[in-house]
Amino acid sequence: MNIISRIIQNRLLYPFRRPAPPPPRSAMGFFTDTTLCIGCKACEVACKQWNQLPADGFSWSGKSYDNTMMLSASTWRHVTFVEQFGADIDGNGAAMVPGGYSPSTASGSILETLLAQPKPGRWLMMSDVCKHCAQAPCQVACPTGAIIHNEFADVYIQNDICNGCGYCVAACPFGVITRSDVDGHAHKCTLCYDRQRDGMTPACAKACPTESIIFGPLEELRERARRRVIQLHERGQTGARLYGDQATETYPALHAFFLLLDQPSLYGLPDQPYFPQLHLGGDYLRMAVGIVLTVAAVVVPLLSYGF
Amino acid sequence: MEINGYRTADGEQLKSYEELAEDGSTACGGWLYCGVFPQRGMNRANHRDPTLAGSVYPNWCFSWPHNRRIMYSRASADPLGRPWSDRKKLIWWNPVQGKWIGLDEPDFEPAKPPGYQPKPGQKGMEAIAGDAPFIQHPDGRGWLFAPAAVKDGPLPTHYEPRESPVRNPLYSVQYNPTLKEHNGPLNPLAPPVDPAFPVAATTCRLTEHYLSGPMSRFNSWLNELQPEMFVEISPELAAGRGITHGGWMVVSTPRGKIEARAMVTRRIKPLTVDGRLLHQIAVPIHWGYAGEVVGAIANDLTSLLTEPNVSMHEGKSFACQVRAGRLNCRQPRAVTAPREEG
Repeated sequence: MNIISRIIQNRLLYPFRRPAPPPPRSAMGFFTDTTLCIGCKACEVACKQWNQLPADGFSWSGKSYDNTMMLSASTWRHVTFVEQFGADIDGNGAAMVPGGYSPSTASGSILETLLAQPKPGRWLMMSDVCKHCAQAPCQVACPTGAIIHNEFADVYIQNDICNGCGYCVAACPFGVITRSDVDGHAHKCTLCYDRQRDGMTPACAKACPTESIIFGPLEELRERARRRVIQLHERGQTGARLYGDQATETYPALHAFFLLLDQPSLYGLPDQPYFPQLHLGGDYLRMAVGIVLTVAAVVVPLLSYGF
Repeated sequence: MEINGYRTADGEQLKSYEELAEDGSTACGGWLYCGVFPQRGMNRANHRDPTLAGSVYPNWCFSWPHNRRIMYSRASADPLGRPWSDRKKLIWWNPVQGKWIGLDEPDFEPAKPPGYQPKPGQKGMEAIAGDAPFIQHPDGRGWLFAPAAVKDGPLPTHYEPRESPVRNPLYSVQYNPTLKEHNGPLNPLAPPVDPAFPVAATTCRLTEHYLSGPMSRFNSWLNELQPEMFVEISPELAAGRGITHGGWMVVSTPRGKIEARAMVTRRIKPLTVDGRLLHQIAVPIHWGYAGEVVGAIANDLTSLLTEPNVSMHEGKSFACQVRAGRLNCRQPRAVTAPREEG
C-alpha cells in the first residue's frame, strides 16, 4: 500500500501541485532618460557580463556607432545612435533640428542663452531594452505559461518551461525577443530578477555612468520623469516626451519607459504600439459564426431528412 | 587617515597642511589632501552641501589643497586688498583680524598683508610680495613671457603641424623650428602644402576600445560593439573621391598606407581656411594585426616627430591623401582557433 500511495503522490498528484507564488512586491521598472545617454554602451557590456551572454558576431553595420543593431536572445540592452546634423559646411549657421527645438522659448540666464545658440545638429542616443509591458503580448501568446509577471511586476521568461515555440517572438510589437541559437528557447531582459531578489540594482542601471538608466519603484520613476520633461521644456527642448509612462488606447503602460527628444520611430520604436491580441476580437467573432454555420450545415440537412 | 595626516603622539587628525612639521611630530601621506578628514567621522570629500557662496560651492566635496576652490584667488582683490568687483568678490584683506578672509579658502599666505614688500635676498614665500597673486612663480607674477622652462618660448604663437596642407595664416614661421625630426628611411615627411597630401588627418579614440587595442581587442563583448577599423570622412570628401559609406578606402601618407571601412558622416565637416576648402578625416587608433578582431593601424600613417619640451609625439595632426578602394596586398586575418602543436 505504501508503494501505491507513493506512486499516486509522485506521478499523479505532485506534477499538478504548485507552490505558493512569492508575495507581490512594489512594481519596479526602468526609466531611461535618453537626454543623459552618452552612448558608452556600459549597459550592454554590464548586461552581457552579469548574464554571461555570448557575443553576437563581429560585423560593422555602418549605422553610426551602433554595431549591435537589435535586441535578441543574446543581446538584452542595445544602444541606438541617430545622427541629426544639418547640411552646412563649417558648422556655422543654424540647421533646423527636427523635433521641436525652439530657441525662442528659452528665457534669460547664461545657461539659457547658451542653449539658445543655433547648433549644427545633435546625436541622439538611446539604450533600448525589453519594455516589461504592464500587460504583455508575449505573455498572452505564450502557450506553455513560461512567460509570467514576477512579484516585481516585470515580465520574466522561465527558461526551463519555455519550449522554443516562438509565439512570443511574433507577438512582441517592439521586436525584443528572439530564440537563442544555443538552446532554441526564447530569452530576453529579466530586469535582473536574480539581482532584484537580493535587493540589488540591475546591472545596466548600476553601470550607467550618467544615470540615464534609473531603476526604482514605478510611481517614483514616473514622477521623476514628468518633472524632467517639464524641466526640458523650460529649457527650450520642446520635443521632449515620455514614451510608455502611461497606457494608450491601443497599448498598456510600459514598466521600462523612456524619455525621447523626437518621434519614437526615429529611435526604432513604434509610434503607436498596438496590442496584437486586440486583433483577435474579430477573429473570435468570425470563429463563432463559423462554428454556428458548420454545425448548421450538418444539423439542418439531418433535421430535414426527418429525424 | 594616513593620507590626511595625524599627530604622531596621540593620533589626532590634522585639519590643515599648515600643521605639518618637519620634526616627526606629524605624519601625512599627501599634503594636498591634508584636512580632508579633519576629525573622526568627518569626511569632507563626502560633503554635498549645494550652498553657493559668491561663485564657489565651498562645502561640496573637498578641493585640494586645503579646500581651495579658485587658484590664485589673491588676484580677485586689488593691491590694497579690496575686491575688484563686488559681484565677483572671492577673498579680501581684513585689517582688524590681520588676515585674508572671504568666500573661498585664500590661495595666499593667510597673514601676509597686502602691503608686504620682500627684502632683497629673501627666498621662497618670503620673496613674494603682498600684491603678487601667482605664488607658484618665483616672483609671484603672472607670465605672458616665459623666460625659462620652455624650449620654444618665450612668447606663444600659432604653429602649423610639421605636415600641414595649409600655410600658417598667423605667423611667418610655418612650424615649430625646435621640433625634433627623427630623420631616416622610416620617417619621410611631406613638405608644407604638398598637393600630393591635401587632406588634414587627425587620430581619435572610440569608447569601446582602449588605447592601441591589446587590452580590448581580445574581449568579445567589446569587439562586437566596434568590430572593424573605419575612418570618418565628410560626405563632401567622400563624394569627391567616389568613396561610399561602408565601402573601402585607402588613406596614405609619405610613410604608409592603410585600408579601412569608410564611415561617411555629417559629423565631419570640411573647413574653410584662408578662403580655401580644407578636408579632414578622423582615424581611430584601436586596431592592430592581432586579436579576436584585427584591422589597420593608425600609426602606420603618423610621423616620428617629437615636441621639444616633453617629447610628445605629433600623432594628432598630419597630412594625407584618401582614395576609394583597397590595398593590393595581404592583410592580417584574425586568429580564432589555437594553432596546432607539432
